[in-house]
Amino acid sequence: MVLSLAVRNLKLNKFRTILSMIGIVIGVFAICAMGMLSAGFTEEMNSMISDTADTLTITPIGETVIDGTTTTGFSTTDLRNIEAAVKSVTSDYDFIPMYSSSKYIYIGKETTGATISGMDSSDITKIATLIDGTLPRGSTNVIVGETFAEDNDLRIGSRMIILDTTGQEVTCRVVGMMEDTGVMSLGFSTDNAVVGSIEWYTGLVGDNHGLYDKVIVKAYDPTELSAIDAAIEEKMNGKEDKDSDDTVYILNSYEIMAVFDDIMSMSSIFTTIISGISLLVAAVAIVNVMLMSVKERTREVGILRSIGTYRSQIMLMFLYEAGLIGLIGAIAGTLLGLIAAPVLLMGMMGSIDAMFTPAVLIYVPIGILIGLVVCLISGLYPAWKAANLNPVEAMSTD
Amino acid sequence: MNSIPVVELHDVSKIYPMPAGDVHALNHVDFSIQKGEFVAIMGPSGSGKSTLMNMIGCLDVPTSGEIKINGKSTSEMTDDELTLHRRETIGFIFQKYNLISLLTAYENVEYPLILKHGHKDTTTRTADLLKMVGLTEGQMRHTPYELSGGQQQRVSIARALANDPTFLLCDEPTGNLDSKMSTQIMEILTDLHSQGRTVVMVTHDPKTAEYAERIVIIRDGEIVDE
Repeated sequence: MVLSLAVRNLKLNKFRTILSMIGIVIGVFAICAMGMLSAGFTEEMNSMISDTADTLTITPIGETVIDGTTTTGFSTTDLRNIEAAVKSVTSDYDFIPMYSSSKYIYIGKETTGATISGMDSSDITKIATLIDGTLPRGSTNVIVGETFAEDNDLRIGSRMIILDTTGQEVTCRVVGMMEDTGVMSLGFSTDNAVVGSIEWYTGLVGDNHGLYDKVIVKAYDPTELSAIDAAIEEKMNGKEDKDSDDTVYILNSYEIMAVFDDIMSMSSIFTTIISGISLLVAAVAIVNVMLMSVKERTREVGILRSIGTYRSQIMLMFLYEAGLIGLIGAIAGTLLGLIAAPVLLMGMMGSIDAMFTPAVLIYVPIGILIGLVVCLISGLYPAWKAANLNPVEAMSTD
Repeated sequence: MNSIPVVELHDVSKIYPMPAGDVHALNHVDFSIQKGEFVAIMGPSGSGKSTLMNMIGCLDVPTSGEIKINGKSTSEMTDDELTLHRRETIGFIFQKYNLISLLTAYENVEYPLILKHGHKDTTTRTADLLKMVGLTEGQMRHTPYELSGGQQQRVSIARALANDPTFLLCDEPTGNLDSKMSTQIMEILTDLHSQGRTVVMVTHDPKTAEYAERIVIIRDGEIVDE
């Protein structure tokens, strides 16, 4: 019966009930949506870059003058030195020197941009997975990323044109396709890549005096990456720490993952604080509404007490009210969060796959629980105050 | 008349501390009510009759002295024990009816039964009580604001009888009613008394008090005449 009285009182004061619920809806929505978004973003990023979290990408910084031309790149001596540094740490690694640059690609009447890379055919399978066709050999065959193929309607056997350094059109034939590694993939992303043999690349772009554009080192044990990173720094830059005098720049995917995790943790804490503040404001509003309710119903409480209602039952009646506001508000906030989070995630990452993971969906019960608990705590003082009203004084209130 | 008192007051005093000085609402009151009696407590405004009613109704406790309801002293009772007494031993009928505005007439009468048994009334008791005090089936579904004063007081009487209390405690039961309604309400109370029900009524109206078989006069917190 006390539950029924609580429900009827909420219905009687619909407008006030809805206003007090809005605070909880916003607070829970913020916690739920931001939590799900943050968790979904992390999941999505993790799935994108975890495959490459075992990779060091080494690029040259310093310039070299060869035959009167200023250029940059790794000479065979540089490659030997870098590999020697890797070997000093581990013998379980892949060492992949490559050429790489951006080029316009002409496919039919369409023009698009892509990263073209040239490397030894045997190295391709170390950083990419061939899902269709064969590895590229010779001076005209290439393989392309799955997304690039889909976006440009390319199939095995399709042809595309790239201009060489003299402006001559070079026709390339697609002989294979690579599985996507994700656009955020560290080291080497296959999504928008066109990969061919060194012969194909140098025929198109030139050999840059035999200087490679970058080197990818894959450690079979990712925990060795930091040691390999330090060894290369020491060997190539003369010290372990990075600074402006360096001749090589090393992108350590393992450390980036750790930094990324830290950023996401900080971001999560920040959004939790913001959501917490909005919930605190909502809690104050609930306390206010409940105190008003107690004041308006003082006489009713006096009557209920006089005819034999225990203090605990009066307290329960007001806690039911606060709990119902919390429960309905929290469910509404969570539902809004469930709508908003995938939309935002889709906009940011282009995928909502990460939404349906336990790390994200856990925010549904968390949101409801937080809304309910906040309202119950907010209702405690007003409920206690109502329960401790003197029945005689309460009944004499108009 | 039964020799076991339903209500006993021994040397009961009630003092309200006030900034301007203590107010002695009751002064060493000794008084008892036997089972089956119809007692009217009369007195002018401020005489202490409402304080006395609150003491008998377990809504307040005395500053000194002892009150026994059915032989049990209320002085040492916890709030929950006093609440239980109010629920099961006393049937309150108030001047302003004091019905729960959110509940229908039926639910108002059913409420004490739910408090006692923990579930809705599965018998016909609620409807029987409302019929007994003269409410129709349609009126039972009305909220208090949809009923006249006389109808509300009838509902209040039915609610007071719901848990078959030891005595009815009426506070100016006709104070808000016209003479015709007052007569009808007093006839219901007289009927209940004639069926063996103990009735304690606080009133300042001599005509209403005439329905009682015993009149207790209180003035300045003391019983001055019986």
